[in-house]
Amino acid sequence: MSKRIITMIVSICTATTLLWTVGLIITIQDQFFYEASSIKQPKPTTSNIKQNNGLSIVALGDSLTRGTGDETGKGYVGYVVDDLKKRTNQHMQFTNLAIKGQRSPQLINQLKQKEVQRQLKEADIILMTIGGNDLFRGGEALRDLSHAQIEKEKKKFVEQLHTIFQLIRTVNDDATVFYIALYNPFNDLGNGKETSAIVRSWNYAASEVAADYKSIICVPTYDLFELQVNDYLYTDKFHPNKEGYKRIGERVASLITLTKGEK
Amino acid sequence: MINLVYNEMLKIVRKKRLFIIAAIVAVLVSLFTYAQLKQIETIRERIGTTDWRTQLQQQIIDTQNRLNSTGISEEWKKFLKIRLQQQQYYLDNDINPMAPGAPTFMRMFIENSIELFLPLLVMVIAADLVSSEASGGTIKLLLTRPVKRWKILMSKYIAMILSTSFIVFSVAILSYAISGIVFGYGGWNLPLLTGFSIQGEELNTAAVHLIPQWKYLLIEFGLAFFVSLVVGTLTFMLSVLIRSTAAVMGIMLAALISGAILSSMVSSWESAKYLFMVNLRLTSYISGMAPPIDGMTLSFSMMVLATWALVALIVSFYVFTKRDVY
Repeated sequence: MSKRIITMIVSICTATTLLWTVGLIITIQDQFFYEASSIKQPKPTTSNIKQNNGLSIVALGDSLTRGTGDETGKGYVGYVVDDLKKRTNQHMQFTNLAIKGQRSPQLINQLKQKEVQRQLKEADIILMTIGGNDLFRGGEALRDLSHAQIEKEKKKFVEQLHTIFQLIRTVNDDATVFYIALYNPFNDLGNGKETSAIVRSWNYAASEVAADYKSIICVPTYDLFELQVNDYLYTDKFHPNKEGYKRIGERVASLITLTKGEK
Repeated sequence: MINLVYNEMLKIVRKKRLFIIAAIVAVLVSLFTYAQLKQIETIRERIGTTDWRTQLQQQIIDTQNRLNSTGISEEWKKFLKIRLQQQQYYLDNDINPMAPGAPTFMRMFIENSIELFLPLLVMVIAADLVSSEASGGTIKLLLTRPVKRWKILMSKYIAMILSTSFIVFSVAILSYAISGIVFGYGGWNLPLLTGFSIQGEELNTAAVHLIPQWKYLLIEFGLAFFVSLVVGTLTFMLSVLIRSTAAVMGIMLAALISGAILSSMVSSWESAKYLFMVNLRLTSYISGMAPPIDGMTLSFSMMVLATWALVALIVSFYVFTKRDVY
């Protein structure tokens, strides 16, 4: 090995040692002696203009929209998107903003976030489920079926649903919103009759709210789970399984009309 | 002295270890570049857009869902919560932390290699600096020269420092050059946030400020160098104490790997924070990740590491100058 190469390596080593030492000094100066001043807000980028390329789908809501219980992880939203992909050759953009266990007040908070609003603004189709956790409260409702309590919850929910739809409509006034109504997972339990009645009245209230707004469609799922409910439920006896989600997905997909790019 | 250091460097270069290390780094960087590319493609396919805001929002939602699921440990939950707040902060300030580019890849690579990969490479060099001379018998020839013992050891130590910085340098250069082929070479001025501090489960953003990516990288590589130096010094001490290179490597390897495992499970064993191996992830403090144990800060970790290194240095010099060589 020639002397030159070694000299070169040694000088590289020396130079980089110096460089890294400088890095360490900057670290100490930047991390320990930083004087807190307000962070300069970067200029908002101009990409907030609606990019009109293809179909944009946004899903909102709770575990049903998330797809809990479907081992493939798709949920009904996944089946809707699959179906649309078969029907159209438009470019498709899909975001699922649903959070497990979400109730309507939390959804309202979520809808107030800047980035969520930006995505809603660009959406052509909005899919959502909400209210299941408001009503069943993780099975707690089964113990307390008193009429007054349920009515109180329902009234609260109706107000919040109004707020949700208003928020969506102020951000985006032409996207079609599909609000997927509730089914009764406790259909074949002893008190199935009572719970069914509650779910029906709850759904009725929700569809009344939806009717107040332009192109917000309340999609019923109650009938899909009425017979043999257990065949369509996941092992937790609350969320649908793959077959259950497929049925919801088929129903929602059949309602979506495509204006362009139809195959 | 300079001649002695030169002599030591000659030995290191002759053994061709530096080139082998560079080759290992090159292979790994290409591997990770490909993995990163695949990941970007998958996300694009799943969401159907390249808009980073949409992707980041989706990540936030995914994290929220993981937080809501049962059966995740408290530590992991805390970690996720802090990351969630940080991602939201980036989103609210309209800054893309993962804008593709070679500098971003460099950042990701050094953050992931500071704990284990980089120390391992340093160990390969430092492990046999003294012990190979002892086991090969050449130490006698070295010590018969009319040079003081501490000078000989000092020259070896300086050679170790120089080769450590060479290793860090090759990681920097190779990760930049190779990933740039795919991601492009731009992005040095991308603004990034630093100065997050963690208090319990909350992310404190009081001291958060923007710095350009080149400065961020310089900081992270400076810290990586510091960590490598500490690990190098500890290996150096073992190399003085133990005659067998294999034993030195074995001990260091065990310590480093136990550190990687420990950091994920020591949160309830508080005094573990004085061990050097759980303090190696210095870059996490810069990017604002939750430390393995509550109350650990950048200054704390650096002090712990410096203390370990200092003690190791004193022990090696003491033992080397007092020991009988036969």
